[in-house]
Amino acid sequence: MDSIFFYRNSATAPADGPLAGLKIAVQPTVSVAGWPADAGSKALANFTALEDATVVSRLVQSGAFICGSTLGSEFGFGLAESRAGEAVKHNIAAAELMLDMMGESRLAACGAGVCGFKPSYGLVSHFGLIGLIPSLEVCGLLAGSCQTIRHLLRALAGPDDKDFSLPDEKPGEFYAPAPEPSKTTIGVIAEAQSALPDAEKSKFHASVAALQKAGFAVREVSFPDWPLFLPVHKIVGSVEASSAAGRYDSVRYGERAPGARNWNEMYLASRGAAFGTLLKSFLIQGAYFQFQRYDAYENACRIRARLVADMKKLTDAVDFLVLPVSGGASEERPRTLDETYGRFAATAFANVTGQPALVLPPASAAEAPFQLVGPRLGDAALLALGDFLLSVREKGK
Amino acid sequence: MDFEAVIGLEIHIELNCKTKMFCDCPNRPGDDPNLNTCPTCLWLPGAIPRFSAEALEKASLLCLGLGAELQPQSAFDQKVYYYPDLPKGYQLSQAHRPLSRGGGIDITDEDGNLKRLRIHHIHMEEDVAKLVHELEGRVPISLVDFNRAGSPLVEIVTEPDLRTPHHAMEFLKALRTQVRYVGSSECSMENGSMRVDANISVRPRGTSQMNTKVEVKNMNSVRHVGDAIAYEISRQSQAVQAGEAVVLHTRLWDPDKKVTLPMRGKFEGPCVPDPMVPVIELSPAFIEEMRSRLPEMPAARAERFVNDYRLTGEEAAFLSADPDVAGFFEALVKKGVAPRTAMHWLATQLIPAVKERRLELGASRVTPERLAALLALLAKDEINANAAREVLAHLFESDETPEAIVNARGFRQVSDAGALAAMIDRVLAAQSAAVADFRAGQGKALGFLIGQVMQSSGGKANPKIIRELLTKKLG
Ligand SMILES: [Zn+2]
Repeated sequence: MDSIFFYRNSATAPADGPLAGLKIAVQPTVSVAGWPADAGSKALANFTALEDATVVSRLVQSGAFICGSTLGSEFGFGLAESRAGEAVKHNIAAAELMLDMMGESRLAACGAGVCGFKPSYGLVSHFGLIGLIPSLEVCGLLAGSCQTIRHLLRALAGPDDKDFSLPDEKPGEFYAPAPEPSKTTIGVIAEAQSALPDAEKSKFHASVAALQKAGFAVREVSFPDWPLFLPVHKIVGSVEASSAAGRYDSVRYGERAPGARNWNEMYLASRGAAFGTLLKSFLIQGAYFQFQRYDAYENACRIRARLVADMKKLTDAVDFLVLPVSGGASEERPRTLDETYGRFAATAFANVTGQPALVLPPASAAEAPFQLVGPRLGDAALLALGDFLLSVREKGK
Repeated sequence: MDFEAVIGLEIHIELNCKTKMFCDCPNRPGDDPNLNTCPTCLWLPGAIPRFSAEALEKASLLCLGLGAELQPQSAFDQKVYYYPDLPKGYQLSQAHRPLSRGGGIDITDEDGNLKRLRIHHIHMEEDVAKLVHELEGRVPISLVDFNRAGSPLVEIVTEPDLRTPHHAMEFLKALRTQVRYVGSSECSMENGSMRVDANISVRPRGTSQMNTKVEVKNMNSVRHVGDAIAYEISRQSQAVQAGEAVVLHTRLWDPDKKVTLPMRGKFEGPCVPDPMVPVIELSPAFIEEMRSRLPEMPAARAERFVNDYRLTGEEAAFLSADPDVAGFFEALVKKGVAPRTAMHWLATQLIPAVKERRLELGASRVTPERLAALLALLAKDEINANAAREVLAHLFESDETPEAIVNARGFRQVSDAGALAAMIDRVLAAQSAAVADFRAGQGKALGFLIGQVMQSSGGKANPKIIRELLTKKLG
């Protein structure tokens, strides 16, 4: 089973702290001081992290043991080459940390049959995360239970003097009481299911029916601009990535391209040779919008603000939302940019709005995995809901 | 055809902050190469820029000192260009939302008229790394020094209000004075803490069209800026007259050949907002706090000097051009030195003496207290001006009081009429020719005789009393 790891920690686990005994795997987009941190890219080959990411140092301070770094996709974008989720699935690690750019942690959790959580934007420090699109990506968590995720998030959340982009206010204790089903409304976004094939649609409906059976008030809600989430993500994300990807220069680390006649050519050729095909398509798409269609980028930013406001209205009207995880694309590992987006069509919205999103495995083969979504910074209540639903299932067995 | 130039300046000023703009590394670009670096300013994967409060304060003071309006919101963008002095491929710069807008500087134009040169905006940005090219060896190599990477800069962009090299030079001199006043930078073009690019175009005089401009870089002094602009105006005027089109490009000033030469442009793209540096929101309270820290600016100070101390406009301008000089002057006056004496001694004695010793005005042994004590002895006629100049030299070397130096070294002026009368008698006896000249009506001879008495007193005699006694004896 070692093939899922890119690097394994040979040190011994610490003995105390609230998270003592917890083994946690990370993806190579998460820096651990002294470990190779190539973020799955040739551009960073041989780069060794100089400092721990804040997510790592906080877990270690709480007594957790970072057991190794698992194989990931280039810069954590998509899941094509990723082995994320397998360490938790096979009980090699109790949890795994990975970047969630458009739903990677949630889809990886789905594939592994475990819980996957994307925290609210602004809750967890970005320091030491080696990603591409800071305004959309956050550190996602995979674990066997919502309780484990809540313990981890309690250690991780809060201001960091290494990341000024986080809000200053300290989040409260990560505790919320179990929801009272009769007083809790869960909205189902009609538009989010439209792309699902019939077989998946009926499985999703079975999952929603289970919520109703547990006593929750479920009602259909509408989000007419739902189809805009993916294009906004495509434009904003790719422009952000393309503008800043030059920092992964593959000159000071990585491999310099041979044969250049001068330093300028060497820099450009090295960058060109280092990135994989999928990433290059992504960056070229971003370069197109940045240099040829800057107006479209500005529009996308404006539309993003509107989507955030509309989503806020929706989460003011209901307590939680439930959505499918599947974007309706085929099960095969996507290779092209379009196929990749297709796979994340139902998850990318939460990266655009910064909302927390939780994926639970299906209760049975008749159901589909589904996402529960709360308002931004409503993370604790969302995890309490997930915990409640899992315990209802346990009792039902 | 008669042409006039349309000139705009872009001035980069290095802020004298203790740390860099987005990390805690010392802001000392001149240290040994790559000494002042960290993952953030080396732009390593996973690093996050953390905007410095000190940089914001120094930049804000600079803006207010130039009469600019601080914007309630400003933000950093990624200015993308690919060049090895910027290995991360983008520079953090306020391209879309600058720190301030407006402001300006008043200069005196060639005809002596006051002319306002407006500032379009002032924005903050980080400096890039420095490239060092070693071309001597068998394989030429280029080295990158990251000490300067991330140093805090502001860029001042003027309106195209300037018309002549004189305007540009006067603008830069006044700008330097004002920025030094607020204490945000030394603004030395020679040391690179002020770098100036000029955008120049020409048009037939009297028209108002804006023609294609050429950017000129690489001027290392205010004089070079003037020379480069003058050269560029004449080059473009000749080109237009010869029917050639001026194309948008960048040229470098060659100070040896005194010409501008075209350079290869850098690839530059539109700027995207940086997602990691938060938007900078300035509260009215912060702006008020910055305003309260603003010192009295040179123009206001000069005006006050004219009104309060009866100095001429020229004297007041001289004193107020340098905050250290102005402060020294006011300290002297506060200690009871007559304003004109204080002005005169600063300009003709102290400042040259400090320069000669390669010291700073504020950091030599000659404090305002000690110089005031010396000038008090002069005012009370206890020493004469010659002796005062010599005592000043001693003040640089020891911590004794001027009084002690005067006593110990016998600088006290001889005003005792009896002692002076004896000296005068000896001089008159020895200089009968001069005495005869004087009696024959040659006034000059009196000066000669005074000098002779002074010499025989070892420079200590009171010249006023000598004159009185001599006139009496000869009369
Ligand atoms: Zn640094």
